[in-house]
Amino acid sequence: MNLIKNMWKDKLAALSLTVIAAIVLAGVFAPWLAPHDPHEVDMELRYAAPSWAYLLGNDHLGRCIMSRLIYGIRPSVLWVLAALAASVGFGGILGLIAGYFRGITDACLMRVCDVMLSFPGYVMSLAIVGILGPGLENMMIAFVLAKWAWFARMIRTSVMQYAESDYVKFSKAIGVSDTRIIMKQIVPVALPDIAVVSSSSFASMILQISGFSFLGLGVQAPHAEWGMMLNEARSVMFSRPELMLAPGLAIVIVVMAVNFLSDALQAALDPKLLRSKPQPQRQEFSRTAKLRGEEVA
Amino acid sequence: MGAYIIKRAIISVSLLAIISFVTYGLNFLSPLEPAQLVLQAQGVPNITVELIAETKASLGMDQPFLVQYFDWLTSCLQLNFGNSYVSGKPVWSLLGPALLHTLQLTLVSVAGIILLSIGFGVICALREGDLLDKSVRGVLFVLASMPAYLLATLMIWYFSVQLDLLPTSGMTSYRSYLLPALVITLNYAGIYFRIIRSSMLSQLNEDYVLYGRACGLPERTITLHILRNSLQVAVSVFCMAIPTILGSTVVVENIFAWPGLGTLTVNSILGRDFPIIQAYVLVLAAAFVLFNMLSDLLGAALNPKLRKEL
Amino acid sequence: MRRTMFKLLSAVVLLAVLLAGCNGGAAEKSESTGSAQELVYATAKDINDMNPHLYPGSMPAQGMVYESLVEHTKEGIKPLLAESWDISEDGKEYTFRLRRDVTFHDGEPFNAEAVKKNIEAVQSNAGKHSWIKLSTKLLSCDIVDDYTVKLVLSEAYYPTLVELSMTRPYVFISPKDFINGGTKDGVNGYNGTGPYKLTEHKIDQYAVFEANENYWGGAPKLKKVISKVLPAGETTLLALQKGEINFVFTDDRGTDSIDVEAINKLAASGKYQIIRSEPMNTKMIVANSSRTDSPVHDTAVREAIWYSIDRDTISKQIFDGTEKPANTLFSSNVNYANVELKQRDYDLNAAAARLEEAGWILEKGSELRTKGEAQLTLKLYYDVNSSSQKTQAEFIQSALKKIGVQLQLLGEEAASIANRRSTGDYDLLFNQTWGLAYDPQSTIAGFTSEASYYHTTSGIAQAEELYKKIDQVMVSADEATRKSLYAEILTLVHDEAVFIPITNGNITVVAPTSLQGISFKQTQFELPFEQMHY
Repeated sequence: MNLIKNMWKDKLAALSLTVIAAIVLAGVFAPWLAPHDPHEVDMELRYAAPSWAYLLGNDHLGRCIMSRLIYGIRPSVLWVLAALAASVGFGGILGLIAGYFRGITDACLMRVCDVMLSFPGYVMSLAIVGILGPGLENMMIAFVLAKWAWFARMIRTSVMQYAESDYVKFSKAIGVSDTRIIMKQIVPVALPDIAVVSSSSFASMILQISGFSFLGLGVQAPHAEWGMMLNEARSVMFSRPELMLAPGLAIVIVVMAVNFLSDALQAALDPKLLRSKPQPQRQEFSRTAKLRGEEVA
Repeated sequence: MGAYIIKRAIISVSLLAIISFVTYGLNFLSPLEPAQLVLQAQGVPNITVELIAETKASLGMDQPFLVQYFDWLTSCLQLNFGNSYVSGKPVWSLLGPALLHTLQLTLVSVAGIILLSIGFGVICALREGDLLDKSVRGVLFVLASMPAYLLATLMIWYFSVQLDLLPTSGMTSYRSYLLPALVITLNYAGIYFRIIRSSMLSQLNEDYVLYGRACGLPERTITLHILRNSLQVAVSVFCMAIPTILGSTVVVENIFAWPGLGTLTVNSILGRDFPIIQAYVLVLAAAFVLFNMLSDLLGAALNPKLRKEL
Repeated sequence: MRRTMFKLLSAVVLLAVLLAGCNGGAAEKSESTGSAQELVYATAKDINDMNPHLYPGSMPAQGMVYESLVEHTKEGIKPLLAESWDISEDGKEYTFRLRRDVTFHDGEPFNAEAVKKNIEAVQSNAGKHSWIKLSTKLLSCDIVDDYTVKLVLSEAYYPTLVELSMTRPYVFISPKDFINGGTKDGVNGYNGTGPYKLTEHKIDQYAVFEANENYWGGAPKLKKVISKVLPAGETTLLALQKGEINFVFTDDRGTDSIDVEAINKLAASGKYQIIRSEPMNTKMIVANSSRTDSPVHDTAVREAIWYSIDRDTISKQIFDGTEKPANTLFSSNVNYANVELKQRDYDLNAAAARLEEAGWILEKGSELRTKGEAQLTLKLYYDVNSSSQKTQAEFIQSALKKIGVQLQLLGEEAASIANRRSTGDYDLLFNQTWGLAYDPQSTIAGFTSEASYYHTTSGIAQAEELYKKIDQVMVSADEATRKSLYAEILTLVHDEAVFIPITNGNITVVAPTSLQGISFKQTQFELPFEQMHY
């Protein structure tokens, strides 16, 4: 709770959090918020300029851009969030097990992670989409498969640190069961670390997934997705540049908000991170997190 | 040092072996029968069950998995990745030149990233908190939050169309490098800039700085020491930037019609040309492992302490 | 240590500069198209394998380099590499007298022996050419004398000359380029007899064709034609605006690379002219009737799709009036195609009624029609490089959704779509008839060929009858019989609605205003570059 309080003090972080929350809510309640059906084609309105009925104008099929933008939140943000949750969840459980029990389980899991991590993440996702075929679901599978090892590795590092702390040792000594220790003593303290790692990956995943859709490897027509909207706008870039504006801005805003938030999370977690002499473990942790997490699309 | 190199090399080689195994295994993820794909690619109109069996036999696909794998591996080691399903040409004849083109673009971009991030990183760390620091950080932050395709399109629009300075696409002269490399550089500079800046900052708080100041060393000498120490971190980071960017040029290449790996791979995905996808993964993963090793070795050469780890 | 670091960094920078410099010089020349007798056209795909006896290559490029015995023109079949020919009484023997002044680009003479070797090279790979019926009827190619050859057929086949005039496979490459005495395993070089020779090829970048100064028809005025690979769409338009390329045309896959509105804007600037050919083909959606496990097997479903396409809007809005709506597989100006057929206009009510009738029911509260267990879901494949196909697909998808039919759209590379067509792995896909030189006989012959439309046609109830009629029409010598047979064939496929027409397509050329002599061939796949000049 301290974490959230710390963050709330940071105005920018508070703003970012509000923006993200608003966007997520808009995505969830898209059917109520969108003024029109995002798939409704009306060729008479092809490339119509913004009007009161269609606030952002209409696209090449006369569809309402505003509604498409709102529905586009689902694949562009919500599904990314789901893929992130899935890979963090999967990687997190394995990381917990490896970091807590150590020994042979740990060694085996980490070797598997080594192999997975020796494929550049982006290349791995591309290859999996290539073999399963383009489409939203396949893209999600690709991202989960390509990312989990990274989270497992990071979370293990963080868990190990706490597993060796005195209070865990004490609990073990008095015979508290492993499950109980993990649930009550490890997970709560490791959560902030997990939050940092996953938030820094979130932004890059949004960029990469919209990049895939931009290339035609992701979401398939007619579903609205920001990357695809940009691709459609791009084919008339010079006759109608204004079409790029809305989806382009939407992506930039979300990614910036997520990046701010992730920075704020890190700072809130360790306010002295940037100024003081860092604890070696922590510094290593956040530096590599940044590096691997942020392959830009 | 010698022992360290050998140890590191052994790890890399075994990693490469496992990687090749996983890459080969990717085949089995495909919902389609490989023999059928081969036949489709050859344009055989009527694919019967017998024909599939026959093709399987002739391609050795009826052999045990491990035998198939070793056959495949030995031919890959000779740069024989089979033939493209779509054009029928040897995969390497397509992948080789594409790899070279992407490598060229990557190196130009990495050079740009190094110059930009070290330059700004050092200046901003020394002037932490003032206007310059804040604005550089702000600009690089926004640039890193932009999708590459948006940045690229804006750049084309401004530099090629409005100012009519640079070619819009293709790889025709050294001027063609500028725009795509600039997009990659600006997209990634933010990340590397932050690493340099924060490692500079953490060095600034080290005891030796205080000590140096106490002894009255000139500020320049102290700064150089700080720079030297923080660049140690940077060397391995920049080393890994090469394979990372090598694998992430896909979008930029597609926008600029760069005849490189990214364009080739996306076309192969859309054309279901699996041998190319497989070779692409293998080559890039190998590059990743090799650069990883290189970066560790460099780190060890620069900092003997690291040699003990492993 | 600092020095090591410095060296390292500067090494990277230096290496980058060096590598970048490597290809600077070689290609600099193609950056500007200022030079007087040069033309640079954009193509979405590399020219690929130029072997004229196989199919991956780019047809416009092959058309510049290779030639056939005869040429298909508006006025009928005309001499090309053969000066004249005779057809025997029974229609089974064709004797060609060859031009004597022709050499291949490598200096080899073009003579009866070269013809024989080439034709045999094609025939030895007959499986690949089954779409061209001549390949199944050709028995032998005999040398009569140095410059006379005789083709012997198993039976009379009236489109023989037409099929010999096609861009491939019956064209000629220097026998010196053969590998293992043939061409099916590839070739060593690309020496044809045509007005241009391929002098440089950088895969996925560009290909340079230079004028053949010894061309038997006189050296072409346009000295250099460069084909440059650019992604379709705005990139091409930009390159055109900036003069990196100066010529764009509808390519052999029917891909309109540029938005109509954008071209019009460009032409208004005065630097470029737009030239459109007369309607050349029919753009359509092809339905896979042989796929028994898919709703597309059902005639009613195919008809419903036909009724659900608003062709007027597509023509007016998507093509800006440049392409006219098509209501039949072949427009009535195509030979033998002036047949009275049932008109199926845009009518969603008729479409829904047709589906109801066939048992596809829309349950209350459901958005998707079902028939027993089966759901009315279809997959439509389109070419990712064609923005107009995607727009049409989305437009049709939204219309079908209103009547409870779900259309899934999948964008793929053209080559992959061609593969799907030949293996039958599709429900619906975009396609086009093959153009004036090929319609109707070759397109119809293609109904029986697995590489073309066998899967499209083989699932209809009267498939056997259809194929029998096609076999008959190809060998019938009597004009009136042919006419009535073609009418029956066209009626049959029209009633079964396996070829769902959309618009009549044409070739669009965007060229500098100063370029003259732009004309079209009867095939939609090539352009006569040798006739163009500034």
